Amino acid sequence: MTDESDLAARRGIETDVYDPAEDSRLLADVASDAVGSGDTVLDVGTGSGYVASTVAAETGARVVGSDLNPHACRRARDAGIEAVRADLVAPFREGAFDAVLFNPPYLPADAAAAREDWMEVALTGGETGREVVEAFLDDVGRVLAPSGYALVLVSTLTGVDEVVEYAGARGFSAAAALADESFPFETLTVLKLVR
Amino acid sequence: MKRDLMDIVCCPLDKHDLELDAEDEEDGEVVSGTLTCTDCGETYPIEDGIPNLLPPDMREETPA
Repeated sequence: MTDESDLAARRGIETDVYDPAEDSRLLADVASDAVGSGDTVLDVGTGSGYVASTVAAETGARVVGSDLNPHACRRARDAGIEAVRADLVAPFREGAFDAVLFNPPYLPADAAAAREDWMEVALTGGETGREVVEAFLDDVGRVLAPSGYALVLVSTLTGVDEVVEYAGARGFSAAAALADESFPFETLTVLKLVR
Repeated sequence: MKRDLMDIVCCPLDKHDLELDAEDEEDGEVVSGTLTCTDCGETYPIEDGIPNLLPPDMREETPA
């Protein structure tokens, strides 16, 4: 294989599935501390399976990964994660999970930069950056066990206050910031949402 | 998929139970088969060990 085709192959992979970055690591760290060994956990939008496999390895919990993207589902399964192709939490049973993790696509869409591939789907959350996380918040309460919680990564680019307010209107209380990490253009926070 | 995933998943449309029809199993995992909703009758494929539980109108391989 020549260097050129190797590069092309790598670019192909990068275009198909979001690779773990600072946001993934922050969510994985917070979730590894929060999740118990006997828990059943769902990682929504699992992508490469990095967060799901890290949490499974660190805690011993059963972690299922879901993704809209078929390439991501295959990569997560290759990483040893039980993968389900799904639209957010739609095909999961009421009360099935002790914890649901989500690192949503959160960048506000820039029409000029819009691309029609899986990376676009992995990165952007509509015009506000909040469309996907709002759809998630509309339904996640259904799949949480009575004492269950959701851990959601939110960026200042998305609007942390707006997400907290939306979650509050969906019955989630005390959305407490568990971690903050600042980068040149944004600060990342993991919100713990409980009812 | 592992068989006990059945305890976790349901029909994405009406949330009723699914029935598993396993065509091929390896190492205790269902590699291919179908999941059928016991209420609305919609079927969902399992391919390469991954159940595709997207609603039928979202199943295309390409985005948007």
